[in-house]
Amino acid sequence: MPVIKDISIEIGMEEVLRREGIDAGKDMRPRIKEALDEALEEAGSSGLIEPVAAYESYRSTGMSEAGVRLEGGGEITGSLIPEVFPGADGLVAMVCTIGQGLEDRVREHFENGEQMRGLMLDGIGSAAVDVLSIEACHRVMQSLSARGAAVSSPVNPGMPGLPLTEQAHILELARAGEIGVSLTSGGMLVPRKSASMVIGVGENMPRWTQEQVCAKCFLRKNCLYRVRPATRG
Amino acid sequence: MGDDLVKALVDLDEDKVRDVVKSRLEAGDDPLGIMDDARKAMEVVGDRFAEGEYFIPELVFAGEILKDMTTAVKPYLNKASEQKYMGKVVLGTVAGDIHDIGKDIVGFMLDVNGFEVHDLGVDVPPRKFVEKVQETESPILALSGFLTLAYDSMKETVEALADAGLRDKVKVMIGGGQISDEIRAYTGADEFGKDAMAGVALAKKFIAAE
Ligand code: B12
Repeated sequence: MPVIKDISIEIGMEEVLRREGIDAGKDMRPRIKEALDEALEEAGSSGLIEPVAAYESYRSTGMSEAGVRLEGGGEITGSLIPEVFPGADGLVAMVCTIGQGLEDRVREHFENGEQMRGLMLDGIGSAAVDVLSIEACHRVMQSLSARGAAVSSPVNPGMPGLPLTEQAHILELARAGEIGVSLTSGGMLVPRKSASMVIGVGENMPRWTQEQVCAKCFLRKNCLYRVRPATRG
Repeated sequence: MGDDLVKALVDLDEDKVRDVVKSRLEAGDDPLGIMDDARKAMEVVGDRFAEGEYFIPELVFAGEILKDMTTAVKPYLNKASEQKYMGKVVLGTVAGDIHDIGKDIVGFMLDVNGFEVHDLGVDVPPRKFVEKVQETESPILALSGFLTLAYDSMKETVEALADAGLRDKVKVMIGGGQISDEIRAYTGADEFGKDAMAGVALAKKFIAAE
């Protein structure tokens, strides 16, 4: 089971600001800048972010509108996978996490009345999960293309057609227990700053940018986290 | 003088707020009047936020300034006029959901606006909400959730409240992500709020109607 541990995550100020709705070019209030600087420093220096990803690839034994069956008896239900990569002859299940540390520290800040600091650190954590997911997908792509296969961009449970309840299957398939990620009884990932995803493997796998994903999302109009087109209309 | 304070807080001028509050208190100004100006200013901050002029960090910053102000004014309030909590609110992210930052901001803004907030954290089962409402006799229950799945948990929480015979004693507001009036109707909640300031306005409305 492949585990990726050597990913280093650099989060820039703009990454965090974008998620708070603030234009990096805009003048920032000193108090906000100070909190962000401190949080960036805290995140960078104290090992609060421990990025790790686990994945496994499987050959598909059959795909229908209802989902996909995998060698070894695994299965992922939902219409999204057959819809976006009908040509896949295999799948990669992946789970990544930045660990528990940052989340605990955010809680401490909130409990100590340091709301601004907590808010910024949490934003850094969410950005880190995004960056980690992208980088881990890139590694999977490199490793599989060395074997001659192409990979798609990832889809996440919670997207229409891939129910959140499928997280349980994905965790099992990715053997997420090995990196310390488990599920709550309600199907949520623990540690919380984690993400799960599925990648299609085959010939001509479709790829898309985050901007394209955002453009299709039901939150596209007002989500602060959305990636907007470079030229604004 | 009041306008100075309102403007300074609206502009998030931390130092100016501190100075104006200090000089007004030293001049023997009514501390309740000072807090009333703060309330007016927070309404304007809320409007700026709603209009997209201010973002979450600015809202939190305003909350921090307000918190410091309240601390400064407190010793000047005599027992009779000492501000009582506006009311109690039980708050949490519903079962099956872990998104908490929106809830935390709502909790903070309720707190600095004078509410006694009992935050149960994330992934909170309906039973826990009901128990806390019973224990604190809180007239307001605030539920947060960002996942589509959370709507069912919200509905179950409202039902659990009814099963415990508390539905007519407790006002329920919900918020988070894509919450709309349709979802509010589905869950059986009384109101929904788009952001933390809407949550504060709703909580005030609930208390006033009591
Ligand atoms: C940040 C984020 C995360 C962070 C969580 C950080 C945290 N501490 O909460 C991380 C990266 C951990 C995360 C993970 C996941 N997430 Co997420 N996440 C988001 C994101 C981008 C932003 C949510 C947020 O916190 N916004 C910041 C807040 C402050 O903004 P806000 O909404 O304006 O807040 C106001 C209102 O909501 C309101 N409010 C909130 N609560 C209440 C309550 C009351 C009573 C009132 C009145 C008002 C109110 O007041 C707030 C302050 O003004 C959303 C997309 C989005 N834009 O909503 C997805 C989103 C919610 N996530 C989603 C999903 C699916 C997940 C994952 C399951 C993905 C996965 N498979 O890996 C995982 C789950 C992880 C796990 N542990 O199981 C989906 C949900 C889809 C669905 N239909 O259910 C979304 C919508 C993304 C998407 N488009 O697909 N996520």
